[in-house]
Amino acid sequence: MIQTIMKRNGEVVLFDASKIRNAILKANSHISGERMSDYDLDKVTAMVVDALNAGQQKDAIPNVEEIQDMVEEKLIESDLPKTAKAYILYRAEHQKMREMNANLMKIYENLTFQPSSEVDLKRENANIDADTAMGTMLKYGSEGAKAFYDEYVIPREIAQAHINGDIHIHDKDFYALTETCCQINLLKLFKNGFSTGHGYLREPNDIRSYSALCCIAIQANQNEMHGGQSIPNFDYAMAPGVTKTFRKQYFKSVAQYLQVRFGFTFEQADEWTSAVKEDVGKDVSLGTAEAYGKKLAAYLVEKMEGKISPEEAEKAAVYCQSNAYNETDNATYQAMEALVHNLNTMNSRAGAQVPFSSLNYGTDVSPEGRMVIRNLLQATEAGLGDGETPIFPVQIFKVKEGINYNEGEPNYDLFKMAIRVSAKRLFPNFSFLDAPFNLQYYRPGDYDSEVAYMGCRTRVMGNVYDPNREVTCGRGNLSFTTINLPRLGIEAHGDLQKFFSMLDDRIDLCIEQLLHRFKIQCSKKVYNYPFLMGQGVWIDSEKLSRYDTVEEVLKHGTLSIGFIGLAETLVALTGKHHGESEESQQLGLRIISYMRKRMDDESQKTHLNWSLLATPAEGLSGRFVRIDAKKYGKLPGITDREYYTNSFHVPVYYPINAFRKIQIEAPYHALTNAGHISYVELDGDVCKNLDAFEAVIRCMKESGIGYGSVNHPVDRDPVCGYNGIIDEVCPRCGRRAGEPVSLEKLEELRKKYPNVPLQHCGCY
Amino acid sequence: MTEKKMENNGTVGAGVNFERIRRITGYLVGTTDRWNNAKRAEERDRVKHSLTR
Repeated sequence: MIQTIMKRNGEVVLFDASKIRNAILKANSHISGERMSDYDLDKVTAMVVDALNAGQQKDAIPNVEEIQDMVEEKLIESDLPKTAKAYILYRAEHQKMREMNANLMKIYENLTFQPSSEVDLKRENANIDADTAMGTMLKYGSEGAKAFYDEYVIPREIAQAHINGDIHIHDKDFYALTETCCQINLLKLFKNGFSTGHGYLREPNDIRSYSALCCIAIQANQNEMHGGQSIPNFDYAMAPGVTKTFRKQYFKSVAQYLQVRFGFTFEQADEWTSAVKEDVGKDVSLGTAEAYGKKLAAYLVEKMEGKISPEEAEKAAVYCQSNAYNETDNATYQAMEALVHNLNTMNSRAGAQVPFSSLNYGTDVSPEGRMVIRNLLQATEAGLGDGETPIFPVQIFKVKEGINYNEGEPNYDLFKMAIRVSAKRLFPNFSFLDAPFNLQYYRPGDYDSEVAYMGCRTRVMGNVYDPNREVTCGRGNLSFTTINLPRLGIEAHGDLQKFFSMLDDRIDLCIEQLLHRFKIQCSKKVYNYPFLMGQGVWIDSEKLSRYDTVEEVLKHGTLSIGFIGLAETLVALTGKHHGESEESQQLGLRIISYMRKRMDDESQKTHLNWSLLATPAEGLSGRFVRIDAKKYGKLPGITDREYYTNSFHVPVYYPINAFRKIQIEAPYHALTNAGHISYVELDGDVCKNLDAFEAVIRCMKESGIGYGSVNHPVDRDPVCGYNGIIDEVCPRCGRRAGEPVSLEKLEELRKKYPNVPLQHCGCY
Repeated sequence: MTEKKMENNGTVGAGVNFERIRRITGYLVGTTDRWNNAKRAEERDRVKHSLTR
């Protein structure tokens, strides 16, 4: 008699016939027809047990697989083919799940015991340090979640399309949790204060608290979404903070003047300034300070009854104005410096990441807004504590004719300054509000009508769900999925009709997938997002109560389909990419226009915001091509590199003139309404050639680029603090990478260069 | 307080590499150490664009 069986892990346990009966019951209940009675179940179970007993060798212990084989055999023997089939499928399914678990455990093992330098998976996102405890924990969660969603949440066909590399579902680890990103309106958030979910903050009253709370808002929101966070109107949002600081400083200066000039006590001076506020008014600001000063002078002459001459009173007013200006300017610099430092050092997502932050600015022409922009650029130019280039925030300077593009326009000086800073620090990037597809939304003086760009490139503006709300603030992308375009190019074998028909199928699949995810997103409640929805950051969420679903307000967001490798696709179809052939360029435009049209049609059909994205593709840059190279071999110009070319870019390895590259890529910006960016790579120290830098930016603007930036080498030697281009040898201290420098030499250099870092080891 | 190593013989910086700040997909990264293999290859392949009209 069979007593024991061996489990898969080698453990020997008591044999229990009821488990066999249950497994048969389960298989049978999954099918229609062939309904088995209790008698049938007992009978087949007994057949299996008898057969096992009969076949048992002395002392041999049967294993699970042998028993399952026997169950299959007896089901077929008993003329229950459908139940047998269901049982076989059930076995295969479980087999797969076990393999999945084994794969996941292998991944966990690598995450735990291998350094990130050895494991590509740990470097999927360069913004995360997966060698740290929290970084590893984040990856455990991420990898576990992906396995779970593939097996239990995402429809089989779609999960398979992702796994085999037809499509890529971005941020799949957050599939059933949240959305990508949001453009945060700080003005709305700060009004009457807000709560982060961990504490209540009063409405700020000083530019320094404005900038500090800006960082906190970005951090709080980053913890509730899976993408980055953007401030679409940073200059406008900080300006009231400058006004408040100026006002405070102005009346402080009045009080100080009165104390010094008339020997008033602090209390007396305070009473006097209260009277001034009462009688002359308290709404003094940078722009009105001069007119206010005249009234203040007259007031002083009158109230001091001959103790102060009109000339002296006027001087007093000038003093108050200039003192308040200088104090406010200093405070604003400190505020911007602290902001840049904070956004490079503060943590989010369990400490594994700095928040992915973007600030858009450049169009506020008020003196306060201008002060914010100038000081932010200055703080960026100065760099971090040791003079390092700040990595965050991503800064985007909005270029607009009539505001800052031409000489004589109010913020032209700031545009020039932005170019100088970008030539040194790689930021700001430049966005172009005059590009027709951005200009169509623009209303002068209304920041909500100015297109903003998020992080890498995301853009959210049009709104078919509510055409009256085509605004930037409070909206963002819900999720996006990328199509492996080169694969379609390869499989079409030059047949364009076949290409477009396969492209249609892929788009259909992506739409189905995005809608599946959207349905899950819509089922969330306000309480799932204590900050994003609870504090009214997302558009209209303030109208919802805690237990409402977020379905309706999410409809203001975008569902985006992206693509990668247009260049490789064109090589597959025609033999040449769009950088080298006008014919390919025309075909490229036809393909991307078609994809855009599908998005527009879907928007009309569903009244949801479908948009086309020039996918950023960081983790994805190598994934598709790895799979395709295995599948199709190394095809020249298609699968023979480690990466597919980003979105619609001319390949990075292709030598081309900067202006030509801009002109080739510009028309794709008009088509990719979910976001885009173009880069130009410049050689040498561009700080020494700002005219060339500006020529590139102006060419982008004139060509209809939406968002662009200039790449150039920014190197730094952390030992001597040199910033600039380092080829092999550091031009300042003369060392090569990895070589030491003597302390005497550093001491010597410090006399010449104040930014030589101190060696913080206590040895000095 | 990064990788600066003090040596006994009065030197500093042994084993310290240069920082090379590059744009990855729109954002910057202060070191290519955390870049994935594909992005490293892409960065390596980038050519400069000439400015002659």
